[in-house]
Amino acid sequence: MILLFKTSSRQNKWRLLFPILLYCAALTPGICLAHQSPNTNMLLDVNTKMVAVELQIPIPELALSFKRNISESPATIVEQYGDQLKDYLKAHIHAYINKDNPWDVEIVSMNMDKGTQVLSGPPFWELRVHLNLLPNKNEDTRKFILDYDVVMHEVINHTTLVSVRNDWENGVITDNPVEVGVISRDMQTMTIKPFEINLKKGSSWKGFTGMFRLGMEHIKNGTDHLLFIITLLLPACLLVSNKKWTVYGGMKYSIFRLLKIITAFTIGHSITLLIGALGLVKIPVQFIEIIIAVSILVSAIHAITPLFYGKEIFIALGFGFIHGLAFSQTLQNLHLVSMDLALSVLGFNLGIEAMQVAVIAATIPWFIIMSQTRYFRIVKNVFASLVSMAAIGWILQRVTGNGNLVSDATDKLLLFSPWLILGLCLFSLTLFALAKRTKKAVEAENTVFLQNS
Amino acid sequence: MKRKIVLCITSAVVMTAIFIACKKDSSSSTTSATVTALTCSSATISATATLNVAYTGTASIPYTGGNSVAYSAGSAISSTGVTGLTATLAAGTLSSSGSLTYNITGTPTSSGTASFAITFGGQSCSFTVTVNATATDCSSSTGVAKVVCLANAFLATLSTTQQASVVLTLNLANAKLWSNLPCGLSCRDGLAFSSLTTAQLTAAKAVIAAATSTTTDQGYDEFLKINNTDSVLYAAAGGGYGPGYYVICFLGTPSTTGKWMLQFGGHHYAGNITFDAGSVVSITPSHQGLEPKTWTNANGTVIAPLADEETAMANMLASFSSTELTSAKISGSYSDCLMIPGSTTNTFPSTKVGIQVSSLSSTAQANVLLAMARWVNDLDSTSAAAFMTIYTNELSSTYVSHARNSSGISGSASSFFTTNTDYVRIDGPSIWIEFICQTGVVYPSQIHYHSVFRDHSRDYIGL
Repeated sequence: MILLFKTSSRQNKWRLLFPILLYCAALTPGICLAHQSPNTNMLLDVNTKMVAVELQIPIPELALSFKRNISESPATIVEQYGDQLKDYLKAHIHAYINKDNPWDVEIVSMNMDKGTQVLSGPPFWELRVHLNLLPNKNEDTRKFILDYDVVMHEVINHTTLVSVRNDWENGVITDNPVEVGVISRDMQTMTIKPFEINLKKGSSWKGFTGMFRLGMEHIKNGTDHLLFIITLLLPACLLVSNKKWTVYGGMKYSIFRLLKIITAFTIGHSITLLIGALGLVKIPVQFIEIIIAVSILVSAIHAITPLFYGKEIFIALGFGFIHGLAFSQTLQNLHLVSMDLALSVLGFNLGIEAMQVAVIAATIPWFIIMSQTRYFRIVKNVFASLVSMAAIGWILQRVTGNGNLVSDATDKLLLFSPWLILGLCLFSLTLFALAKRTKKAVEAENTVFLQNS
Repeated sequence: MKRKIVLCITSAVVMTAIFIACKKDSSSSTTSATVTALTCSSATISATATLNVAYTGTASIPYTGGNSVAYSAGSAISSTGVTGLTATLAAGTLSSSGSLTYNITGTPTSSGTASFAITFGGQSCSFTVTVNATATDCSSSTGVAKVVCLANAFLATLSTTQQASVVLTLNLANAKLWSNLPCGLSCRDGLAFSSLTTAQLTAAKAVIAAATSTTTDQGYDEFLKINNTDSVLYAAAGGGYGPGYYVICFLGTPSTTGKWMLQFGGHHYAGNITFDAGSVVSITPSHQGLEPKTWTNANGTVIAPLADEETAMANMLASFSSTELTSAKISGSYSDCLMIPGSTTNTFPSTKVGIQVSSLSSTAQANVLLAMARWVNDLDSTSAAAFMTIYTNELSSTYVSHARNSSGISGSASSFFTTNTDYVRIDGPSIWIEFICQTGVVYPSQIHYHSVFRDHSRDYIGL
């Protein structure tokens, strides 16, 4: 089994730069022909009910076509010109299958942001528009005509890069939008031709498996979730007496406790994943990330000295809620509805579970083996101390927004996770053999002693 | 026991804190540098030297078994065999394996091989620099033969690695690698000026000078001024601006019999000249831009190499009657030239728009030619004359169009090209010139210029 852990990154890294790079990579290998005057980016999130669109329109170009002096105070364009902008956009965005029966265009939100064009110097303001294209009854969202000429009706050299960010029915659910084309003035005729969106036929099954893969991917890349659960499970096979971790509690005891903790964590994150995916609660990402790092620290301390022995399931459940909220961030921009959403949450959660079980299966047996030796206490404390250092590093990184030596080193180290697990396996077997031998030697010595006396 | 645990956790926290706090000063050791092997036989010399010509270059000497300590610059080691050169170790830090850098300077007093005996970190060896007999003399050649002679002279100053980077295959993909952007070698091929030694850069510029006009603010002088203006942007904005990011590249091997292309440029400049069988067959695509559009250098000289282009275009439009100006005006706005790389499909519009030159007064027609000449005459005078003949013969079926120029009025040249998006285009059977005012990128309160000069049938000729 191969585990490739990457650095933890659940934030939406996707930026304006990306489609341009993709575009360049796709069309002109090795070179990037970005334009001095910035282009519009159009990102599509396609599901069975509608097409959600995000537009990123550079203000210097919009100023030329909107014909109002919006460059003066760009930060307040939406407040000042909101309604006029909506009318303007609606006049230049049309979607249809049958031209006589166009789709509804519903503008959800508009806000101002700073964009940067690749290689073109300082940042400029851009208008970000979220809108929904709502098809008529029984019309397909996968193949339709987009008659779009925002900015371009006036600015002859302006271009719009069209990318699909999410295509649920094809299992395309990524932060890396796929460029599908460019809307621009045709140089031969000097007209802007309606653009045909024609996505590959998909299915609910593809959507489901796509979400399953995403769930697995998510755990693979989210090292901090794994570190939390592994650290929480680390001392689970031990008994406690006198408020100290003592000896191995036996196979039945161990397995029962491991299952209890894993189940509680699963229930916890499943609940909040669903709540989060429905968009019922919105908690700042940074806050969630910090709490997750704290949860790792808490379970590391618990591994050194029992803080909440016997109550692990509540801790696992509680922090499960938090981890679930982090998972749900990924689902929120899919704009899913009804059946798609239910399938998505199920697929995503099963993917998370599958990956989690795989990692636990790859690590926990070695803990069980080691916990039967007397060296385990040292191993456990060293491991937990290292994890607590990593957790503190992450907390600082997430509070300050800047990486530090510890968090950077941790992220680098975790790239070698498969080897770390192999090392863990060999190490535990060595310890086990060593312990067996010492035990035998002690027993033999005792026998000799008894015989002599 | 409880105390132990508390101690353990506290120490973990303290250790973390110390790690984070100490991340900067981790190397304050005083161990001396040692290596287990120096390989002079694998030395890389940046350039060959020439007898009696001042030389600057570097030698990279690979080592293995370094002990990770920093070492300071060495003292000058004189060459033996061919004398007159010195090699000086540059300061650095050893890794387990890597290269030492020696800076080599001086003027070789004879031709042959200059040897340098070096000792470092307990190892010694000797490396050599080849000194050529004489620099190639191209002063007796003229025209394309001179360009080829200078191109070969430039190649002779380069190391084999550099030669491999500067002479590339002549194909469409490579020919299309030109840009208006400050993207250095990431959007261009060839060698960056910043990677060349003084002697190499002088030789590179001599090639460009031979292929272009010698008139002030045209050709080579214009190229140098645009190149220089990038240092103004670097001072103001840093980043990828600066004369060192400009490049030179040959597509195909320079010769007076075969076909090859000279590419040179950087931010706001693209020169693409194609030679075939000893004559210039294409002088496009060409791009010139300028920001700031005028500035004064340290000597008090005003640098404004595109001012005459702007004036020529403004004079042309001002010589149109009000009616002609109206027919020449096209709807819509331009925020940049159409035919700049990366712009939409980058194919010429099939229909010419604006006003046909044959319908203009003879004065205005002459002004159209004068405007064209501002771009065509950037080339060496022989080629420029040949191309001007082609474009003049096609003048009557050439069109002029302009956009915005809302303050522009007939008879007043200064009323044109005053604000962002003021635009003009000359579109003939062959010639295509666009000139536009854009809001400044580094100086947003000023406008700056962009222009392209293309040829419907001669861009990327034969590719």
